[in-house]
Amino acid sequence: MKISRRLLLLGLLAAPLVGAENLDLSTVPERQEVELTIYNAEDLTLVRERRMISFRKGINPLQFSWSNTLIDPTSVELRFGEQEGALRLLDTTFPHAKPQMLYWQVEADQALTAPVEISYFTSGIRWSADYVAIADVQEQQLDLESFVRIDNHSGEEYENAKVRLVVGEINLVEQIAALAQTPVGRVAELEAEHYRQLRQEAGRRAMVAPKPMMAEMALAAAPAVTQPKEVEKEGLGEYFIYTIEGSETIPDGWSKRLRSFSASEIPITTRYRYRQAEYGDQFVRLYLLTNDRESGLGTTPLPNGEIRILRRDATGGLVYLTQRTMQYVPIGDRLELNLGSDPEVLFDLVTQRVKRDEIWMQMSRPNLYQRVDDHSIQIDHQARVAGWEETTYFEQRIRNYSERPITVEIRRSFNGDVRFRSDFAATSHDYRTVEFTTQVAAGERKGIAYAVVISHGRNAKQQRVVTERK
Amino acid sequence: MKSWRIVVVGLILALLSVDAWARIKLITLPVRERVEMQLTHPSATLVEEERIVPLVQGANQVDFSWRNSRVDPHSILFRLVEGEGVAARVLAVSYPPGENALVWDLWAEQAGTARVRIGYLIEGFEREYHYRATADHAEQQLRLQQFLRLRNQANEAFAEAHWKLGFGEPLQRSIGRDETRELLVAEYHEVPISKRYTADLARFGYLEAAQKKLRIPMHYVLQNDAAHGLGAAALPFGKARIFIEDGRGGSAFIGEDWGSFTPRDEEMALYLGVAQDIVVRRTIARNEAQRVNGNLFHYDVVIRYEVENFKEEAVVLDVVEEIRAVRQELGHASQRAIEWQLGSDTTLALPPDGERSGVERLVLRQPLPPRQGDTPPIKQVYTLHLHFRNEW
Repeated sequence: MKISRRLLLLGLLAAPLVGAENLDLSTVPERQEVELTIYNAEDLTLVRERRMISFRKGINPLQFSWSNTLIDPTSVELRFGEQEGALRLLDTTFPHAKPQMLYWQVEADQALTAPVEISYFTSGIRWSADYVAIADVQEQQLDLESFVRIDNHSGEEYENAKVRLVVGEINLVEQIAALAQTPVGRVAELEAEHYRQLRQEAGRRAMVAPKPMMAEMALAAAPAVTQPKEVEKEGLGEYFIYTIEGSETIPDGWSKRLRSFSASEIPITTRYRYRQAEYGDQFVRLYLLTNDRESGLGTTPLPNGEIRILRRDATGGLVYLTQRTMQYVPIGDRLELNLGSDPEVLFDLVTQRVKRDEIWMQMSRPNLYQRVDDHSIQIDHQARVAGWEETTYFEQRIRNYSERPITVEIRRSFNGDVRFRSDFAATSHDYRTVEFTTQVAAGERKGIAYAVVISHGRNAKQQRVVTERK
Repeated sequence: MKSWRIVVVGLILALLSVDAWARIKLITLPVRERVEMQLTHPSATLVEEERIVPLVQGANQVDFSWRNSRVDPHSILFRLVEGEGVAARVLAVSYPPGENALVWDLWAEQAGTARVRIGYLIEGFEREYHYRATADHAEQQLRLQQFLRLRNQANEAFAEAHWKLGFGEPLQRSIGRDETRELLVAEYHEVPISKRYTADLARFGYLEAAQKKLRIPMHYVLQNDAAHGLGAAALPFGKARIFIEDGRGGSAFIGEDWGSFTPRDEEMALYLGVAQDIVVRRTIARNEAQRVNGNLFHYDVVIRYEVENFKEEAVVLDVVEEIRAVRQELGHASQRAIEWQLGSDTTLALPPDGERSGVERLVLRQPLPPRQGDTPPIKQVYTLHLHFRNEW
């Protein structure tokens, strides 16, 4: 297996790094511990690794290389932790001929063996959330399982890595993958230091106060895992951090999927909606649930991800309903799962009749308007229709062939000066949208009649819809 | 070559974690105990297969691969059937690079077997419905057979699968790779039908425009409801081949049509061809404008139908007018829907069909008497009087 990234302690201890020698001697300190902080909003992973190095008193050259990986060279940092006082980083050199390599010169006050921490950004490691939701036969309750999936295409294998996943948006001024391809010599032209600081700052927002790395550097053998790993969730400012229990090895090219959480018997409400602005010209069915503790959820926001929705049938099998992309759901917010149309419930909008009245004519005499049904109006062949009311009579027909009563929510939007007349209660959703709700019993065919009066021409005084109860 | 397999790797090698992937393995091959294919979704096919998986106490790996098969890898579900076998749980799932495979890491409390259900969406199952409709000699009833044709391009065979269609009982059938299978999924006897003749210029046009002779299509109309022996579920879209019993124990093919998706309580109309024995000439007999004022008019329009029924039995003619098309034919300017009323000069016998009529469409029905003996039919004249209000 390729280990492409190496840290070398050069044997030519005090040799100048420029004008390299033909003969070289190096030692290779092993990676002792590694932690990955993976962001889902960007192609970005912050890697922190620790290696134990023996320093001699004086100048110690270190070489760090990362061939065939996707590391951002501007992000590589070396820190000495508790030995910050005894060890000093004198300079960093990016050799011209070796694009994926750097040299550090470290000065030690005395000979000592100390852990060093190297951190950098890499691209190619992603994580995503996905969900499986299974409703019961009666569609009263839902079992929800949430998973996190980690894909490693970074070119590097991270063995026994502690994995932290960041939920939330961060700001990057450049893509890490692009920077990984940028020759180091051009980094200075790109104001690398400025970018580096921005990225480090962005990364640290989510990685402050990480769990202390092990004091004992040697890793003990991983104990046998007998339970699905816990994914610990904690809030941090605007972000949420998921920490996977123990450590994970994800070879390059592999993906791993772990259960994040599960909740059973979440109460759900089924709604049918006609909302053209939200769902297009279709009548959709939804499961509604809330990400709160009363529902058995509410311990974490739900990161955006794919959700697959199924329902149990009477024989214990599953019925596939749909798959959707779910947006981030904060704690306490409502989750609406759009299942699409339901062949058991049919919805038709029928225009039954149209009429025009309140017609005003603009007479040939300037600024003279007369109503057509005004008995005093004179016949004027040059007159033109200047304003009128157009009344359209609609019927929403709903047929419920399912075995359960349903609740239907309808929103209709209109442009212009509009009156919505009905013999049932309707409310304004916004200045141009009316909404109303109705119940349809199992097996019932229901017609909901209403009229929409639109004022045209000089009759139009407003841009809004008002509701009128007949 | 088997394209599909599930293997179970035992405890010792499982402890080697992902490195075990490339090493020597001893595997068991649990066979499918039962397969269910869900076709209830209009486009997706959900497969659920049950297998009995032998497990050692402790860690196990279950390797599921689908080489060359069109499984959606993100849709794969693993469920243990409770109460049937040892208790076990999924610890993690790993996806090796460059392969259509995954590895479940399982932990079993004790050695034994567990019944598991593996569900996944699979592409490549093309499905289409079609019908065989056989009318009785009197064209009063149909025997309607509904078939499902499944084309398996998923590169996997399923033996004795239970097909769930969303209606009726599951069907148990096998289907091989690249095989097409046709299943009779429903059969309805003595379904009452009506034979419909339609005069609809906007939709079907003229047979001879110079003589204003309309094309009169014929349809068998069946109602998808319980009163007509149907109505258990929507009838899916599909081709219908239509036959008629010849009265001598055989049947004759009389055409085919695409049956539209027909929800419950709606009708499916199957086109049979153009009627040669029903002749309808349609003309505009009156188009009078009544100025209200300025550019505001009412219009008085009479449409005249000369109808001849050369058949020896009575039939019912559907007279259909698209209101907007009539106004365009007469050169009325506005494209808005307008108010209209039936006028008193209408002589068509039956009132408008409320279910099929609306603000833009008017459907009336007119019984036509049969031709008597060898005498030519009596030409019947009917009128439709429309009053358009407030048009400009």
